[in-house]
Amino acid sequence: MPVFYPLLAVNSAIPLSYFVLASAALFSIGLGVVVVKRNAIVVLMGVELMLNAANLNLVAFSRYDPDLKGQMFGLFVIVVAAAEAVVALAIVLLVYRRFQTVDLDEVNEMKR
Amino acid sequence: MNVNYIWYFLTFLTLVSAIMVVVVRNPIHSVLYLILTFFCISAHYVLLNAQFLAAVNVIVYAGAIMVLFLFVIMFLNLREYTAESKTNLVKLGAAVLGGVLLVIIVAALRSMQIEPLNKATYNSQVGMVESLGKVLFRDYLLPFELITVLFFVAMVGAVMLGKRETGERNF
Amino acid sequence: MLSIISLSLFGILNLFLGFLKSRRVLLPATLLFIALAFAANLLDWNHQYVYFRDMLRTNNLFINFSSIILLTTFLTVAISRSFGTDEEHTHPAEYYAIMLFSVVGALMMVGFENLIMLFIGLEILSVSLYVLTGSDKRSLRSNEAALKYFLMGSFATGIFLFGIALVYGATGSFNLSAIGSYVSGGPTTGISPLLYVGLLFILAGMLFKVSAAPFHFWTPDVYDGAPTLFTAFMSTVVKTAGFAALYRLLTVSFTGVYGLWWQVLTGVTVLTLLVGNITAVYQSSVKRMLAYSSVSHAGYLLIAVAAKTPQSPSAILFYSLAYSIATITGFAVLILVAEQKPIEGRPDERYEAFNGLAKRNPLLAFSLAVSMVSLAGIPLTAGFWGKFFVFSTAVDRGMTNMGMVLVVAVLMSVVGVYYYFRVIIASYLKTGDSEPIGIRPLYRFILVLTTALTIGLGLFPDVVRQLF
Repeated sequence: MPVFYPLLAVNSAIPLSYFVLASAALFSIGLGVVVVKRNAIVVLMGVELMLNAANLNLVAFSRYDPDLKGQMFGLFVIVVAAAEAVVALAIVLLVYRRFQTVDLDEVNEMKR
Repeated sequence: MNVNYIWYFLTFLTLVSAIMVVVVRNPIHSVLYLILTFFCISAHYVLLNAQFLAAVNVIVYAGAIMVLFLFVIMFLNLREYTAESKTNLVKLGAAVLGGVLLVIIVAALRSMQIEPLNKATYNSQVGMVESLGKVLFRDYLLPFELITVLFFVAMVGAVMLGKRETGERNF
Repeated sequence: MLSIISLSLFGILNLFLGFLKSRRVLLPATLLFIALAFAANLLDWNHQYVYFRDMLRTNNLFINFSSIILLTTFLTVAISRSFGTDEEHTHPAEYYAIMLFSVVGALMMVGFENLIMLFIGLEILSVSLYVLTGSDKRSLRSNEAALKYFLMGSFATGIFLFGIALVYGATGSFNLSAIGSYVSGGPTTGISPLLYVGLLFILAGMLFKVSAAPFHFWTPDVYDGAPTLFTAFMSTVVKTAGFAALYRLLTVSFTGVYGLWWQVLTGVTVLTLLVGNITAVYQSSVKRMLAYSSVSHAGYLLIAVAAKTPQSPSAILFYSLAYSIATITGFAVLILVAEQKPIEGRPDERYEAFNGLAKRNPLLAFSLAVSMVSLAGIPLTAGFWGKFFVFSTAVDRGMTNMGMVLVVAVLMSVVGVYYYFRVIIASYLKTGDSEPIGIRPLYRFILVLTTALTIGLGLFPDVVRQLF
């Protein structure tokens, strides 16, 4: 089995908090996308970004965990995100068929 | 060479492409930048010794989910640039919200305890499929089985919602 | 455990039943499946089991909560129409199957011992509900509700997940008791701040799912737009499962930081009670009123969680039971009344639709009156005892801590009386000119059953309470 010693040298030198910081920034950006954007599909992308930020966190914290719990959870999150995306896009198609738009401000039947 | 540069470069690329997802107006460009972000996150996984997860992330996220997104966007022909109707106030609010969140997390992180990694006992093969598989089928068997229920719901739901009924027009 | 397995299999079986030509068999079959799962659930009474390396724990509390969930699902399925009149546009086999699957998720949330089970259970429940919300494909409102529910719901999932990640970073585990021993054991270096932030994120995600203010803004539109049957389903099952999960998470894992989450929860409780009850007054549609009323009931349930006394679980159980039964009755009557005189193709859900109901259909009017009285918390109904037990947990916790919440809760109960009685007044005192509504035998039976249960529990609460 190949052993990636150079990789080990790299990844052991980077402090864990760096990764967690990156994930926090990603999470904030995802949040921003969800709040600012009006296109339903782009909002969905923001949610995906948030899920990925959480995932990065899980994997980062898993570095000191011999049981790999964090990585395992990350795997489940990816699977869940796939299932969610399928339903999401089915709903978007449904809405587009009725409203001819996916703009969240225009999809507003109830206020009328 | 300071190996941290790799991290700096990667994170810079990740954050810039993530920000570009918000900035660009065309949804297709958003998707492409998001795919770039996911590739960068996969690179982070490799740095964290989660090689299998990195591969899965590329295959499932960048490969399947994002292609689905692209497919739907092109299917709906959403290329026109939609004007942002949100006022600047909302945008400011979002920026403040995101910023506050970031500050909270950073403040929480500052006092985080970091034990140094022990190079002698550290196993770089820990994120390979072999060890993950052992954990999955030993400790996580029940969630693994039950997540199939989620798949059933998603599958049945998507087919039910997406199916064209008689008398409906085809976009 | 047996109930979870059997429900998953029955759901698949239900999908296969959809291939049959006749749709008649679906409703009895689904009812039979739920009854079987209910029976399988009771087999473990007085036993404690932990399954699959600390993934799921079943005990009497689990059985009680899941019995309530299965009972409400049974009632909801029983009041569903046969879907026979509209062959092309309805897919009853799929609806029933997704409902059974969503109950699997709800049971996972009740019995979880590991956060991954909570996460997956919550996702199964939510994704099922997104689909069911959008299931009335011809209705613009249903489509819009599904889109809004999905976007808001997955946003909450993201926050919830980030919270789990932070808690994992602080404690190094997803196991409830392991987190609990970290939090209470007091690590030598002090509790990591990551844990606090993570807990707040998890709380925000969970409160969102049970529609507590200020995370309730999606509730009225989604409950209003969804087909009424599924509104009844989600306003009962999600609340029961959500509060079971919230209570379990907070008491098993985070007892050590009670001082933190107690403050957050009391604030949220006061806000939820105020917002839910006061906005409910201004609604002109009964369905929207019931949506806001479900927000306010989340507030009452939160009192018992925030009080965290030994009596809290039984108070939550009794309240969920009383609330679920009364809500299902209310929605069951609403479905019948609203469909009688559609306006512009939509069911008429305004208060005026109920005018003169007592003359036309005394049974409907009486069931509706009992359920509204129960929701308002008037004595001799189950709802009164539900509120009584919830308030007594707060009194046990002490007036210095919970006094403010109690005052608000009692005041808001009085406000509640106003809007619940508007429906009763419309049906008994005002005159309408509609024809009597025909009711199918099963529907009639369910209405009689739920009304009897509401009054029975109001007269003899101890019969059920000694089980809790």
